[in-house]
Amino acid sequence: MIEDYLVLSVILFCIGILGVISRRNVFTVLMSIELMLNAANLAFVAFARLNETMDGQILAMMVIAVAAAEAALGLAVIILLHRQKGRLDSNVFSLLKG
Amino acid sequence: MYIDTLFSIFALTAVAGSLGLVLFRHPMRSALCLAVTMISLAGIYALLSAKLIFLLQLIVYAGAVTALIVFIIMFLNLREKDLPEENERFTYFIGGAVVLIPVAWFMIKVMKSIPEVKNSIVGNGFGSIKEVGQMLFTNWLVPFEIISLLLLVTLIGAVVLAGIRRESND
Repeated sequence: MIEDYLVLSVILFCIGILGVISRRNVFTVLMSIELMLNAANLAFVAFARLNETMDGQILAMMVIAVAAAEAALGLAVIILLHRQKGRLDSNVFSLLKG
Repeated sequence: MYIDTLFSIFALTAVAGSLGLVLFRHPMRSALCLAVTMISLAGIYALLSAKLIFLLQLIVYAGAVTALIVFIIMFLNLREKDLPEENERFTYFIGGAVVLIPVAWFMIKVMKSIPEVKNSIVGNGFGSIKEVGQMLFTNWLVPFEIISLLLLVTLIGAVVLAGIRRESND
C-alpha cells in the first residue's frame, strides 16, 4: 500500500526532471521544479503514514512554504527578464558566460 | 477496497497532468495541467490521512501558487510568436527518459524493499490541525522560526526587485 505512493512520487519526480532538461520555456521549467517539490512532499507524507509519526507532515509544510517563496521570487525574476529581453527562452538568459 | 480505486484514479490524473505540464507548448496549458496535478495530489494526501497537508495543498498550491502563475502568464500576454522555438524538445525528452528510466527503476526497487505494516490504523487525531500544530510549536519551533525568516527575506527580495525596475524607468 505505502510503496504505491512512493512509486508515484518517484514517477512524478522523474517527469519533473524531464521537464527541466527538455524544455526551454522558463515558465515550464519553474512549474517542473514545483512538480518535483510536490513529489518530495508526497514521499514525506507517505513515510509519515508508514511510521505513524507526524514529523514528515511538518517537513511537508516547510517544503510548501519554501515552494511558495520560490514561486513568488521566481515569477518576479521572470517578469524582470521578460522586460529586459522580451523573450522567454532560457538560452537567451545565459548572461554569466565568462 | 474503495481506497485502492480512489488511489488509482488520483495517481492516473496526477501522472497525466504532469505529462501534460511537460509536453504542452503554451505555458497556460501547462499551468492548468499543474493545477490538475496539485488537486489530485491533495486527494492522495487525504487518502494518507494527512488532513492539514490536504488543506494546505488545496489552499497554498492549487489556490495561491497556481493562481499566481496563471496571473503572471496572462499579465505577460504571451502569443504564439513570443514562445521559444522548441523543435528539439521531444528528442531531449526521449533522451532524458532513456537516462532516467534505470534510475527510476533502481529507486522503485529500493522502495519495494521497505518493510511495510499492512493496513495499520492510525488514531483519530493523526494529521489533524491540533496535533500537528502542537508538534510544530514544541519539537519543531526553531525550523518554524527559520521558515518565517525565509519568508521575510522573500518579502524584502520582492520589494527590492520591484524597486530596481522603478528606478530604471525614471
